[in-house]
Amino acid sequence: MAKAEKILEGLGGFDNIVEIEPCITRLRVVVVDPSQVQDAVLKAAGTFGVVRSGSAIQVVVGPEADTLAEDIEDLR
Amino acid sequence: MKHTQIRNYLRALATHELSVGDAIPSERELCERFGVARMTVRHAVDSLVVEGILTRIQGKGTFVASPKVDLQMRLTTFEEEMARRGLRAASRMLAADVRMPPRDVADTLGLDESEKTYYLYRTRLADDEPMALEESWLPEKLFPKLYDPVPPLSIYAAITERGLAPDWGEDNIDADEASAEEADYLGIKPGRALLRVARRTFAGSIATVYSRSVYRADRYTLWVPVMAPYPTVKTADIATRQKDRTQAHR
Repeated sequence: MAKAEKILEGLGGFDNIVEIEPCITRLRVVVVDPSQVQDAVLKAAGTFGVVRSGSAIQVVVGPEADTLAEDIEDLR
Repeated sequence: MKHTQIRNYLRALATHELSVGDAIPSERELCERFGVARMTVRHAVDSLVVEGILTRIQGKGTFVASPKVDLQMRLTTFEEEMARRGLRAASRMLAADVRMPPRDVADTLGLDESEKTYYLYRTRLADDEPMALEESWLPEKLFPKLYDPVPPLSIYAAITERGLAPDWGEDNIDADEASAEEADYLGIKPGRALLRVARRTFAGSIATVYSRSVYRADRYTLWVPVMAPYPTVKTADIATRQKDRTQAHR
């Protein structure tokens, strides 16, 4: 759960998140404001990279993407 | 439709009776056999060339094309993938040494500036025909004595033996043209199309291998399964959210 909390923080919290879709090895996230996404926090959470394209953010997390997305949902 | 009939005839001929590289009957023979105009025959042959079943060689004729190999991005070995297709896999070693990786490769593997890698550069062959070229980097600290006494034939087997069996990874695939060196090793003309695949392989949270491969675009079709998305976390409609935000700024 600690990892999910950290990832949520790195993404700028629920207020900044429109949608999270786990996709095999990545969390595909649509955010409100991409400038609130902090790569360093996401890296410290144990993720493996961030791919940005406007308000679409992909966080490389490995095969636990599904579990992490559920953990984030549970934090709501 | 006459041309459909000719196309079906040629497809059956190419897939059941002739072998790869065999010539199909000439346009004149086909015209006579089916009692049609040359344009009709050409139309049928064109559609099979587009499908990749036949190939035209200028000034020589039309032949049965080599079938394309489907390239599925999976963590299997080249040997397994070729064996599954009834092809004999082989590798030719072009370089194998311990070296400092390029900066971007080091970053991808999470290595600092002083950390070295085992480097491997190989040609991949199927039934003696070059299919791909592959460069690989493995962190030296993870695999001490990897090349002792000689570089392993299979990276996959060697790292599995050392307790770091690959369990996931990611590929980035780009279309590009073959450089002179790549063309030379692959036996194709420089400038021909390639699929460039950059792969990062992990064992759990440890990045174990980074590789860059080029596959001949004339021999590979990339196969990707697709499914409808289903978001797990969905807060609100983006338009509503952005409207709220705009109002908040007022």
